[in-house]
Parts: sequence; C-alpha cells; structure tokens
Amino acid sequence: MADEMKVDMELDLKGLLCPLPMVRVSQNITNVPVGGILKAVATDPGSLADIPSWARSTGHEIVKQEQEGTDFIFYIKRLK
Amino acid sequence: MPGKKLETLAGVIDAKMNRQLKLYLDICARCAICRDACHQYVTTQDVRYLPAYRAELIRRIYKKYFTKTGQFVPSLYEGRDPDENLLEELYDVMYACTGCRRCMYYCPYSIDTTWIQSVGKAMLLAAGKGSEMLTQLADAAIDKGKNIDLYKDIMRDVLKTAEKEMQDKVGDKEAHFPYDKEGANVLYAALAGTHSILPAAIIFHMAKEDWTLSMFEAANYGYFLGDAAKAKEIAGRIIDEAKKLKVKEVVVSECGHAHRVFKFFYEMWAKEKLPFKVSSILDKVSEYITDGRISVDPGKIDIPVTYHDPCQVGRNYGLFEEPRAVVKEICSDFREMTPNRAKNWCCGGGGGLVAEPALEEFRKTTGKLKVDQIRDTGAKMVVSPCENCRLQLDTLNEHYKMDIEITSMIDLVVRALKT
Repeated sequence: MADEMKVDMELDLKGLLCPLPMVRVSQNITNVPVGGILKAVATDPGSLADIPSWARSTGHEIVKQEQEGTDFIFYIKRLK
Repeated sequence: MPGKKLETLAGVIDAKMNRQLKLYLDICARCAICRDACHQYVTTQDVRYLPAYRAELIRRIYKKYFTKTGQFVPSLYEGRDPDENLLEELYDVMYACTGCRRCMYYCPYSIDTTWIQSVGKAMLLAAGKGSEMLTQLADAAIDKGKNIDLYKDIMRDVLKTAEKEMQDKVGDKEAHFPYDKEGANVLYAALAGTHSILPAAIIFHMAKEDWTLSMFEAANYGYFLGDAAKAKEIAGRIIDEAKKLKVKEVVVSECGHAHRVFKFFYEMWAKEKLPFKVSSILDKVSEYITDGRISVDPGKIDIPVTYHDPCQVGRNYGLFEEPRAVVKEICSDFREMTPNRAKNWCCGGGGGLVAEPALEEFRKTTGKLKVDQIRDTGAKMVVSPCENCRLQLDTLNEHYKMDIEITSMIDLVVRALKT
C-alpha cells in the first residue's frame, strides 16, 4: 500500500513533457538512499512507458504505479 | 593513459575516416568566420565554443597520428594525444554543441563541424565517457522497444481521453486513433505525450487520411549521444513497425532531429533502402492544404506572430517556405525575424541540450540572441515546428520574461481548421 510506504523524496513533474520527467527522475534518484523510495508525479502520458523503461535499464525498480485523475504516480526504489 | 589506449582512441578517427572527413580535417584556413556564426561563441566569447576550435581538438589528434609531419614533429604541428585532458575538453564542447550547422553555412569551405564532432563523440564513447544522461535516455528508448507489449494497452487506455477530444473537435463520435492498421498509407511517429498526437490525429481525420499511430516516440537520444548503433536501434523500432504494417509512408512529428534520422541517416546506418517514403508532418500539412484536403480560416490569428526556423527543419532539411505559407495563411500579422531561413540563429536547445540539466544556465545564456530576435519583431506568438526548440523557447520565455505564446505548427493549424 502506497500510504504505508515510506517515501524519501517526492517530485512534482506535472506539466513537464518528454524527456524532462525522465531527466528529473534520473537527476534525483541519487538524492534518496539506496533502498529508499522516490515518488514522482507526472502528467505526461509518455511517462507511463518512459519511467518504467528508464528504471529497468538503469537498474532501479518501480515498486508501485497508480493513477489519480490525470496524475501518474510512480514509486521508484533506488537499488544501487 | 597507456600508449595502447591512446592509439585505440586515435583509431576511432581511422574507423570513421572517409573523403569528407579527411577534407574537413585538412582544409580549415583558420579564417575564424565561424566566430560570428556560432550563437554559443557570440554570446559567451569563450574560445572553446568557437566551431573551428571544436574541430581543432580532433584535428590535432589527426595530425599526430595520421600526418607524416605531425608524426615526426608533433609539437610543431600541434599534434596531441587523446589523453584525459583532451577527452575532458572534448566532452565539454562536443555535448554542448546544438548541431545547428550555422558555422557550416558561413564557412568558405563548408566544413561540417558537427560531422567532425561525431568523431569526438565516438571517441568519448570508446573511452567510456559519453554523456550519462543521453545514454540513459537512449537505453530507456531501447528498453521500451523490447518491452512494448507491456505498455500498449496502458497507452491506448490513456489516449482515450485525447480520442474523446478529437471526436468533439471533428464532430464525429466514430472517430478513433487507429493502431496496428496493416496496409495504411501513413504510419505517424509522434512524440511521447498527447500534445503531438491529438492535433495530428485531427488533421489526419479531416484530411481523410488512411493512417495508423506508432506506439513509439520518434525522438532519438542515441543520435544526440553520438552512438550510431543505439540511434539505429531506436529508429529501427519504428522502421520495423512500418515494414510489418506495410505502410506506404512514415510521417514524423514536429521533431527536427528525429525526422533527419529517418530521412537522411537510417539508410546509411542500416545499409538498406527503405521500402516506404519518409516525410515530416509539415510536408503533409502543406500538402493537405495545397490539395484542398483540409482548409483553414484565413487570418484566424490576428496578434503579431513570428516563425522560428528550427535548424534541423530549415538549414538542415531545407523546409523554409512551406511552413511560412501556412503560418501566413492563418496569421494576419506575420513578422519575420532577422536573420531568418538558412541564416536563422539557433535557439540554443538542440543537440540534446534540453535533456542535460548541467547545461540549463548555458542554454539561457546562449539563447539570448534568439530572445533579442523575437523581441525585435514585437511578436506575441512564436510558431516553431520542433519539440526541442519549443522546450528551449519555454525556458527562454520564462527566464527573460518575454510574455509570448509558443506553439507548434499542428496546434496552430488545428486552431484555425475548418471542421
């Protein structure tokens, strides 16, 4: 459950278009500790594929993904 | 750095050598006309951003390893090893260049600095020192290509909202975004996000085009990275889709570099002739209006409007008049920037720079010429058919408090479209 998950940092990516949501996530993933969670909220539908693809190719993990209205919310666990 | 590694890095030049590169490396007259042609040098006065100097970094390695005079007396001929210092300098200047090729336009020998820089980027990649951000973006695109089945349904579901907007705009509840349509005339390669899909879908619908939507974004960060293998793989996702669907034409969204990749580079990388035509959405819009397949309200926009020639659309593809004709049809108060067309100043956002957070301040500084150009027109709206340009213009608009509207061509057309 997202509300039980400890979030170490939250990123507001609303209104940003590709590639900026991915860029901001990449920039900030090192701001959470290894094993920590970065929560990112985007509105660009492209991020639905882009952020999970980025996570897989860089060795991080999307532990939860949800949608609230037009917001796409990603919980990204830093693995390294 | 061990001598063997230096030789390996210098060998990158050899691997990429052809008559064109040899000519560029041999003939620079050091006239420095490019000094006044490069927006980065003009705005920073930093010699590292002088196009001739950028090329000179590679030329010095070339002299040391590939010319007899440079081999025997390297110091006299400024021969250099691709050592750590030089690689660091290469990184700073190669990944800061927007690839606008304005320097080539003014160079009396038409030396293509971006071509020489592609050697520098290849050398950096061989040394494991390519741009980390561009690598991540390129790898994510490749990963998406390998796992597209995971996203197809999610994407189509999300696009239903945009589909509804299209239905409302065209007044047809049966209008849909077509997917995986075999034998369609057109495969449309959009950008990630609905902003490049919805207006194009409305235009295709009104033109009664037989089209289908690609699941892949056209943007290609492998190209900006300077990694031809990755760039080919990223573009190859759409190429394979087009072949599988047996479409007659791939139409690329308003993305200058992506269009050039499909139009000019892919066949060279893949050593194959593509079995379909490649066009820009700008070509199609112009064609639809000329052929009467869509029509727009003349003079629909009456505020002052100017047009920014994206370098990859104008100078590097040659599309100047067609987009202007469309803008002039829709906008009653059209104002040209000076200079324009092939001499237009780069906005400062191309080459992947908008994806490099470390270069944000640099982009603001080097975009000042574009800001002045726009302000001089008095325009309240700028039309620019390139995503990178628009992202950069957004940054400039905010930073310099320009108070202008920035729009794509297809958004402008939809605004004036007679439905």
